[in-house]
Amino acid sequence: MELLSILSPLFFGLVAAGTVVGIIFGAIPGMTATMAVAVCLPLTYSLGLENGLALLLGLYVGGISGGLVPAILLNIPGTPSSITTTLDGYPMTQNGEGERALKIGITSSLVGGLISLAALYLFAPALADFAIKFSYIEKFLIIFFALTVMAALSSSLLIGIFSGFLGIFISLIGAYDISRGGNGELRLVPEFLEYYLESGFSLLPVLIGLFGLATILIDAEHGMKDAKELSKIKIGGAPFKLSVFKGQIINLIRSSSIGTFVGILPGVGGSAASILAYSQEKNFSRNPDKFGKGAPEGVIASESANNGLTGGALVPLLSLGIPGDSTTAILIGAFTLQGIQVGPLFIGNNPITWDAMIIAMLVANIVMFLVMVFAIRHLAKVVTVPKNILFPIILMMCVVGAYTINYGVMFDVWTLLIFGLFGYLAHKIRLEIAPFIIGFILGPSAEIYFVKSLESFGTFSIFFTKSWIAVLLWVLIAVSIAFSISVARKKKRIVD
Amino acid sequence: MTGLFKSIAAAVGFTAMVASPILASAADLPSNIRLVIGSKSTGGDTYQNSAIIADALAKKLDINVKVDAVGSSEAFKALQRDSRGTTIMIFHDQSYLGNLYGVRGYDDIFENYVVGPTVAINPGNAYLVPKNSPMQSMEDVFAAAAAGVRVRVAIQAGGVSEIGFSAMKNAARIMNPGSEANIVPVNTGSQADKNQLMFDGQADVINGSVQANEQFTHLAASDQKAMRFVWLTAREETIEQANPEGMGNTTSEELLAFTTPNVSVTFDGSTDFTFDKEFFFLFNKDMDADQIAAIDAALKEIFEAGEIQKTQKASFFIPNYKPQAEASAYLKAKRDQYRQVIDSISAN
Amino acid sequence: MSFDSPFHVTVDFSSSHLIFPTIIAVILGVLFISILITRGSTILATVTNGTWWPAGIDHARFFGTLALTVIYFLAMPSVGDIFPNTGLGFYLCSIPYLFALSTLFLRERNRRTLMIAGANALIAPSVVWYILSELFNISLP
Repeated sequence: MELLSILSPLFFGLVAAGTVVGIIFGAIPGMTATMAVAVCLPLTYSLGLENGLALLLGLYVGGISGGLVPAILLNIPGTPSSITTTLDGYPMTQNGEGERALKIGITSSLVGGLISLAALYLFAPALADFAIKFSYIEKFLIIFFALTVMAALSSSLLIGIFSGFLGIFISLIGAYDISRGGNGELRLVPEFLEYYLESGFSLLPVLIGLFGLATILIDAEHGMKDAKELSKIKIGGAPFKLSVFKGQIINLIRSSSIGTFVGILPGVGGSAASILAYSQEKNFSRNPDKFGKGAPEGVIASESANNGLTGGALVPLLSLGIPGDSTTAILIGAFTLQGIQVGPLFIGNNPITWDAMIIAMLVANIVMFLVMVFAIRHLAKVVTVPKNILFPIILMMCVVGAYTINYGVMFDVWTLLIFGLFGYLAHKIRLEIAPFIIGFILGPSAEIYFVKSLESFGTFSIFFTKSWIAVLLWVLIAVSIAFSISVARKKKRIVD
Repeated sequence: MTGLFKSIAAAVGFTAMVASPILASAADLPSNIRLVIGSKSTGGDTYQNSAIIADALAKKLDINVKVDAVGSSEAFKALQRDSRGTTIMIFHDQSYLGNLYGVRGYDDIFENYVVGPTVAINPGNAYLVPKNSPMQSMEDVFAAAAAGVRVRVAIQAGGVSEIGFSAMKNAARIMNPGSEANIVPVNTGSQADKNQLMFDGQADVINGSVQANEQFTHLAASDQKAMRFVWLTAREETIEQANPEGMGNTTSEELLAFTTPNVSVTFDGSTDFTFDKEFFFLFNKDMDADQIAAIDAALKEIFEAGEIQKTQKASFFIPNYKPQAEASAYLKAKRDQYRQVIDSISAN
Repeated sequence: MSFDSPFHVTVDFSSSHLIFPTIIAVILGVLFISILITRGSTILATVTNGTWWPAGIDHARFFGTLALTVIYFLAMPSVGDIFPNTGLGFYLCSIPYLFALSTLFLRERNRRTLMIAGANALIAPSVVWYILSELFNISLP
C-alpha cells in the first residue's frame, strides 16, 4: 500500500479526534492517557492498522499533554508524569498567571513532543542498541539519580529526605512483585490487611488522594472560606510572550532529551522523566530559590520532558518489541490485534506503517497545541467555578479514576481516602509531600534493580565497575547531591 | 466501545434500561456479565483471547460481556465473592501452576472453582539462546550441564515461565543424574528483563515466545540482540494446526523443528515433556449449573459455526474448545503430570 | 542476604523480599533519630504549647466531608451489587453525595445556590456515568 493512500481525511480526522479525547482524559484528575488508549483499543480492530494507530497515537499524545491543565490550575496532577508541573504551575495560578502558565506548558509540550519525535524517526534503531547497554545496575543508578531530586525539592533537607524514604518504604508494602522478578512474598503487611494489600497501594489512587482529597480536606477545615478569593484571581495576569522562552533553549533541549531518553529505557517509568528534568533545571539554574514559587523554567522543564516521553517510549516498542511505558504496553495490543509483530525487524518490514506513525505523531502534537491554545481561555475559567460545585465534582472524578485504574478494584477507592487523610496529616506535621510521592513512585523500581544487581553479580563494587555509563551516572549523582546541599546551606544562611 | 450504537439506542430509553430485569430471559444468564482475567495487561495474550471469546459470547447470547484485566489475585477475589453468574473468569495454566509452585494467592482451582471449558491455546512458549552461543540446541544444553557447565536460564518464577525450566531439570536428572544441579534459574520479570539478561551475558538460555522473539532470530549473528530458538514446549499437533505461514518470517513447518519429537526434553525417559498454554473459564463453585451449561452450550455452537477459529488463528492462537466436564478432567490430569515433574526435581 | 566479605554478598531468592525493606527501615530510623536530635526541642515546644487538633477548625465541614465520603464509599458497592455490572451503584450514590457535599460547602444557602447545587448533583454524575459506563464500557461500581 502506498503511503499517500493511507493518509486519507479519515486518518487525519482520527488523529485529531484521538488527540482531543486524549486531552480530555488527561485533563480530568484520575483519568490517564493509559486509560484513554485502553478504552479505545477495541475500536481499532475494525479501523485497520494505520487508522487504528492514528487514533491511539492521538490519544497518547493528547493524554500526556492534558495532564498539565489540572496540575497548573488545581494543583492536582492529571497524570503521574505531571507531578513536577504542579510545583511551579500552581504557584503561578495563585499569582494570577494561570493562563500564562498553561501557555508556557503547552508550548513546552509541543517542543518536547517534536524533539522526541525527531529522535524517534532519525535514531530509533541506534537508540535501542544504546538502551540495551543499560542493565539492572545502570537502571538502578538512573533511579538513584532521580531520587536525589528528593533533596532538591525539599524545603528542609532532613525532613524532605525523611519524607522521601517514607514514600519508598510505603511503596514496598505488599508482595515483592513476581511479574517484575520478585518472589511474590508479602512484607510490611499486618495480617488482618493481607487480603487487601496483596499488591500494595496503587500509584494513581495514592497520587489523587495526596493531591486531590487532601487539598479539599485542608480547605474544608478552613470552612471553604476563601471561596471568594479564588474567584478573584485574575485570569490573564502577566501576558504570555514567547520571550519567556528566551534563555530557555538549553532547558528545552535538555529536558526534552531527558524525557526521550528515560522513555527509551523500559521499566524506568514515565514519571521519572519529568522528575529528572525538573531537578536538573533547578540544579543548573542561577537562582534555584525561585523554584516552587512559580518559576516558568520549572513548568518548561517538566512539560517538555513528559511529552519527550512519547517519542522515547516508542523506540523500544518499535525496535525491540518492548514497551517503554504503561501506555505503549497497550499499543502492542493494537499491533497484535492486526497480526503485526513488533520487534527488531518492524521498521524495515513495515516502512509505510512506520512513516504513517511518525506523521500521526507529528499531526497529534500540532493538533494538541492548536486545540489547547484555543481552549485555554475557557479552561482557565475553571478556577472561577465556586468551590462548593467544583470540589465535589473533583472528588467524584477521583473516585472514578481510582476505581477504574485497575479495571474495577474497590480497595483502590479506599486507598484514595487513606492517602487523602495521610496527606492532610502530613500537612499538619510538616512532612513534605513532593519528596514523599517521588519516593513512592520510584521505590519499587529501585528495589528490583538493586536486589537483582546483587543477585546477578554478588558484589557491591559492581555498581562502580560495571561500565563507563555507571561511572558517568555516579558523577551526575555526586554533582546533583552537591548542588542540593549547597542550595540548602545558602537557604539556611538567608534564614539565619 | 463495541456497543456504541447499541448504547446510543439505549440512551433514548434510559429509564427502561434501568428498570430492565437483571436476568435476560433466554438462558437465565445475567444481562451484564463481567469477565475478569488473571492478567493485568490489556495488551497481552490473555486479554486478547478473552476479548475474542467475550465478543462472540455477547453476540451469541445477546448480553453484555465486559472484560476487566484486574490480575490474578483480584480476579480470584471477585470470582469468589459472586456466585450469581455476574462475574466469570478466564485464565490459563498459571492458575494451577501457581498453586503447584506454592505462590501466594493461588488456591487449588479444582477444589475452589468450577473449571472449564477450554477455548484456545497460545502455542508460542519457547526457550532461546544467543545466536552465537556455544549451545545451539537442547542437546548441547544437556551435554553442557552433564559436563559440569553452569547453564543459567532466565525465567519468571512460579508458573508458566518456570514449568519448561523445571522440565529441563527433570530431563537432565533422568539422562544424567546429578547434572540437573547445573541448570540454574535466573529469576526475573517481563520479557524485556529476560532479553536484557541475555544481552548482558547474565543468562545462557531465556524463556520467551514465538510472538515476542521470532524477529530476533532473524538478526545477523554478529548483532548483540540475535537469538536462536532451541525449544518450543508446544505439542507437535498444536503447531500443526497453526496457519501454515506461522509467525513473521518463520513458517509453521520451521517451527516444528523445535518441538517434540525433533527436540526432545524427556518427561520420564520414554515420552517427551510438552506444555501448551491453554486458556479456560473458571466459575464460582456455587454458580448455578444451568448458567454454566448455558455458557458451555453457547461456546459449543460458536465453535461449531467455525468463524471464531479464523479470528483466533489470525492472532496465532490455536482454537481448542473442550466442553466443561471434559476440560476439567483434562486439565486436572495435566496438572497431576506437572506436579510429578516439580516433585521429582525438588526431591533432591 | 549474607555477606561473604565486606563487598561480596549472596542473595537468597526466597528471602530476597526482605533485603530492601530492611535497608530502607534502617535509613528511616537513622533519619528519624537525626530529626529528633536537631529539631527535638522545636517539636517538643510545638506539642506542649500549641492548641490541640481538632480545635479551631471547621468541625462541620471537615468531619462532614469525611463522614459523607465514607458513607459514599460504603454505599457504592452495596447499591452496585443490586444492579451488577451496570455502574448504577456509582450513579445512584453520586447524586446524593454531590448534593450533600455541595450544600455542606456552601457558605450562603439560599434558593438560588441550592438550586445550582441540586442541578449540578443531577447533571454531573449523569454525564460521567453515561459517557464512561455506557459509551466507553468502563466498569464502575
